[in-house]
Amino acid sequence: MVDYSGKGITKILAIILEVSHVHHRPFIIKSALATAALLVLALAGSSASSAAGSAALAPYDAKKAGGTLTLVAQAAAGTLDPKVNYTAEFWQLYQASYDGLLTFSYGSGATTFNVVPDLAQALPTVTNGGKTLTFKLRKGIKFSDGKPVTVADVKASFERIFKVSSPTAGSFYNGIVGADVCLKTPATCKLDKGVVVDAATNTVIINIIAPDDSILSKLAVPHAVINPASAPSKDAGTTIIPTTGAYMFKSYDPNKSLVMVRNPYFKEWNHDAQPQAYADQILYKFGITPTAQVTAVENNQANWAFDPIPADRLNEIGTKFPNQVHINPLTAMYYLPMNVNLAPFNNLKARQAVSYAIDRANMVKIFGGSQLATPVCSFLPPNFPGHVDYCGYTKGATPAKPAKAWAAPDLELAKKLVKESGTAGQAVGIVVSDDDVNKQLGVYLQSVLTSIGYKATVKPISGNIQFTYIQNTKNKVQISVTPWYQDYPAASDFLDVLLGCASFTPNSDSSINMAGYCNKALDAKMSKAKALGVTDPVAANKLWGEIDQEVMADAPVAVAFTPKQLDFISAGTKNYLFSLQYKMFVSQLIVK
Amino acid sequence: MLGFILRRISAMLFVLTSISILVFLIFFATPGVDPAARIAGRNADQEVLAQVRHSFELDKPLPFRFFSMMRHLFISQDLTSYVNRGAKVIPQLTQAIPATLSLVIGAAIIWLAMGIFFGIKAASSTKKWIDPTIGFIGIIGISLPVYWLGEVVNLITQSKLHSSVFKWVPPLGYVGITDNPFQWFLHLLFPWLTLAVLYAGIYVRVLRNEIRVVMGEDYIKTERAKGASEKRILYKHATRMSLITLVSLFGLDFGALVGGYALLTEVVFGIQGVGKLTFDSLQNFDLPVIMATVMYASFFVVFMNAIVDVLYAVLDPRVRRV
Amino acid sequence: MSSFKESSKAIFSESPGKIALRSLRKDKRSKISLAILGVIIFLSFSAPIYSHYIAHTNPFVSTLDATVSVNGIAKPVLEPSTTGLGLGITPIGPTWNITGYFIGADSQGRDVLARLFYGGRSTLLIGISAGLLCLLLSLLIGVISGYHRGWIDAILSRVLDIIWAFPVYLLAISLSVVLLTSGLKIGVIHIGPGSFALPIFIIGIVYIPYVARPIRAQVLALRESDFVRAAVGTGARSSTIIFREILPNILPSMMVFVPIIVALSMLTESALSFLSIGVQPPAASWGTIINDGLGLLYTRPMVGIAPGLLIALTAAALNLYGDAVRDALDPKSRTRGD
Repeated sequence: MVDYSGKGITKILAIILEVSHVHHRPFIIKSALATAALLVLALAGSSASSAAGSAALAPYDAKKAGGTLTLVAQAAAGTLDPKVNYTAEFWQLYQASYDGLLTFSYGSGATTFNVVPDLAQALPTVTNGGKTLTFKLRKGIKFSDGKPVTVADVKASFERIFKVSSPTAGSFYNGIVGADVCLKTPATCKLDKGVVVDAATNTVIINIIAPDDSILSKLAVPHAVINPASAPSKDAGTTIIPTTGAYMFKSYDPNKSLVMVRNPYFKEWNHDAQPQAYADQILYKFGITPTAQVTAVENNQANWAFDPIPADRLNEIGTKFPNQVHINPLTAMYYLPMNVNLAPFNNLKARQAVSYAIDRANMVKIFGGSQLATPVCSFLPPNFPGHVDYCGYTKGATPAKPAKAWAAPDLELAKKLVKESGTAGQAVGIVVSDDDVNKQLGVYLQSVLTSIGYKATVKPISGNIQFTYIQNTKNKVQISVTPWYQDYPAASDFLDVLLGCASFTPNSDSSINMAGYCNKALDAKMSKAKALGVTDPVAANKLWGEIDQEVMADAPVAVAFTPKQLDFISAGTKNYLFSLQYKMFVSQLIVK
Repeated sequence: MLGFILRRISAMLFVLTSISILVFLIFFATPGVDPAARIAGRNADQEVLAQVRHSFELDKPLPFRFFSMMRHLFISQDLTSYVNRGAKVIPQLTQAIPATLSLVIGAAIIWLAMGIFFGIKAASSTKKWIDPTIGFIGIIGISLPVYWLGEVVNLITQSKLHSSVFKWVPPLGYVGITDNPFQWFLHLLFPWLTLAVLYAGIYVRVLRNEIRVVMGEDYIKTERAKGASEKRILYKHATRMSLITLVSLFGLDFGALVGGYALLTEVVFGIQGVGKLTFDSLQNFDLPVIMATVMYASFFVVFMNAIVDVLYAVLDPRVRRV
Repeated sequence: MSSFKESSKAIFSESPGKIALRSLRKDKRSKISLAILGVIIFLSFSAPIYSHYIAHTNPFVSTLDATVSVNGIAKPVLEPSTTGLGLGITPIGPTWNITGYFIGADSQGRDVLARLFYGGRSTLLIGISAGLLCLLLSLLIGVISGYHRGWIDAILSRVLDIIWAFPVYLLAISLSVVLLTSGLKIGVIHIGPGSFALPIFIIGIVYIPYVARPIRAQVLALRESDFVRAAVGTGARSSTIIFREILPNILPSMMVFVPIIVALSMLTESALSFLSIGVQPPAASWGTIINDGLGLLYTRPMVGIAPGLLIALTAAALNLYGDAVRDALDPKSRTRGD
């Protein structure tokens, strides 16, 4: 061989200098799912420019239709199959393209948590003690390939949930009669008893094994939309499935772009469920960094940026383009699960010390300031069913004698608790996602935990695996930072899902109870609250409020703050409307 | 000679196979990358998780998965992504190639032009200050971290001065040459310059030193004694000889860059080329795409390596023995 | 291999090392670059003194609530926006006051200048250690490969090929996940999470082909040279030949590699810091500070620009010194007429 590399020594410069960095989206799936029945609260939009309050959707104005709506994002959201995709990015698009028997209403404010009939003529008739739901399918609706929507498609669509191993197959739809068999042998899934259809009368009867207080919401989310019976019985991936709504998908390349155009067979049947769209076409461009997205919107090269606005651009858009900024509350939280099965957080005092020590106002600062987040320490977010305003871990309060709201950290008490727990000096690793905000939160926590007596280190890992990494007990994660966004506005979606015994599976990447907290007594109480919810939601929510306080006395997690959604749209983009369920309504944006 | 080429090819295959095995093993040794839970979605039921794992053959033993992946990649060529299910890997790669080629060829023209011009200038100029000045600028070129330079360029052209001097600079991204040649040029102008800075620095230095070395050789002295003009000596002999070195260096650099080593320039400027694809797949832990891009990149590196070796062997028969 | 020919010829006159050293001492470039490096090293290693006695700050602790006195007025280090919608929080910019926040704060409210000094320590430490590790390993591989030839050479060459073409990023990202949490255990060697040993190890290995190959080629050529053949003929032991005849002859080219490889290692360290591998927060290196600064590029560009300039300056000084060393050892490449 030859010595060419003596001269080529500098070649490595090229290779090495080319190693790099990019901000990327955290993997966390931000989705929302809701029931109107339970939402007895005013979720006033604190939007900077859009009107607050709750209202129905205004009538369609055909004069304003036309144009191309350009959306930009750092990355695509994976498969386009509405039965598999579980991301806010694409659920937002599905609302304007796919339809289920039911859906969440268009409009503004709390209205958008209402479940309304979509492909069904009306909300179902409920009989058999809540176990039988009878729907009547609308007639005359066609898929975007021209074929009519039939009850056979409905049945096939429910079976398809299991055939494609939809992420929620085992959690949302396991109550359908016959689902247990389908979960075991998806390939041959038949729901002959669970989804009974009659083509002559156009009826669909859904039988569930037990009453479920959130069944309507579960039938309204994209995983329950109606696809043609001919849709592939495996994840369709990047191939396109015909739609029924205002838009249909034209092309999808996850590394480049997604194009949606008007569905030629679409005629409005329920203005609240699937209204006519304004823009003729939606062009979703991928591979654009968050900061380039902001620039593109500022320069009118895009109508809206998907990714969170980088911290160093916030002041700029808030100052130069205040009328293009919309801020809305989210029912979500950033929290710190502490592994209750691993030292030092197998010690109650150690966990409480962390809860007292973190300065939630500082964490809000890192997130972007008080306009974009609010410190909290209750488990159920504000404006959420069951939420009670209380804080057991603020200066001068105890879990037994809570204050009304969080005010200041109590470092002295925290240090004392650490000393008493006998865990002082132990090593603690904080596993965070390596995007800017989460890494900064981790660095801040490292500083706090060090100051109360631990040997803390922060471990930022790729945001694409952090969420599954911190779930697996094999990885021995002691403490981490992670957000949680509601699936549906029911306390069970927070308390039961995140801290129930059933959500803890050792050695599995899917074990959402990251704290590994399993309190049998509280678990029983949660089951009681769930059962109560079917008949008496108000009493159930009161019970959930009590459970919240009891759980937090045990401090398996420390809640930090509840974030808000900021949308930045271009100057020419009008008619911004926010859905609590799917965030901004893309089909209602006017670009002409 | 034939024996040498055959040996070189078998060595290439050995290296590529080793790399593919290493990549595969490293991937599955990394905790948290098991794609099943990420594909299955948050809070997926354990049964659903098992189904997903089965559908991706993740419940099969490692060697089986390795051979299955290689079969899908090279034989049936229908390997699909772990993250964007159904997205075939090979079309993703082939679609990314034009962007990378545009970036690399454009930058190469700039750095070769600058490298050759200033390299010759530095080696031949009679003015005392020219050589050290060019040498100094060359050193700056090779000392700037590319990702940092790219971000600073973006800061200036996209933000600080975007409303005045750089109003004409389009947003980040890539426009195909067939879509709009002018926009293609505008979009790539700063990425070209940024990438070219480093290589221009390298090539100036290499060429200048080579020319200097050749100028000191005995036969040049003979030429000079024979009365050949300085210009003739410089271009006809010294530069021509030195360019041989430069061409082999260029072969290696070009191979690596086309293979995706312009990764950071692509990421910083949002150009959807092979490097960006590699980077994104690494960020996503999308093994099929990682495997395809790594194989592609290492093929180019190893291939250009072999070409240069063979060329040297042609020029210098002694090499063949070792 | 001109340097080798040159030095073997010179064996009988003055020692080549002495000639080289003399011309290096005269070289202006070496004076300038050593001065720059000296200042940078001095500042880096005086980091604790600066932060403790001058800036009175601990740059490894988040101080989101801190205030700083600017022209007698106490200002918060992290200023919430007061214009428009009041969105976002901006760290304080340069105060140009050496007693605190001279070039501003980062997102955690920490003094960037103090972090730059500390960061220089990490970057230099990793750069120099990785560079030396690489040279040592390369020397070992190059000499064994070139001297023994045959199947040992064949195997080592393939290993070099693999390292050459292996995707560094994949290795870095994967290792970072493994190592961050548990550290790495290879036999008795234990690399703790967040240890500097990790980036040193990775960078040291990545560069081996670039140094080992030319060394191997030189050793191969030396192996065929008359004086080595003569030594082999007299029945001298391999180790004797390697130490007496071969090593002294490849030393000059090794010397040329030192500054270049250290510069490269430093640049690589900064790049790897982006991949969350190596220097872990809250510790700092110039690479991690650039990374922090990229998140502030639009409001406080100085945080990202300053460490980039320092890296460039240090790398340039090293490369300049490398040029001077090369010319001192190999006078042919210098200007005509010298």
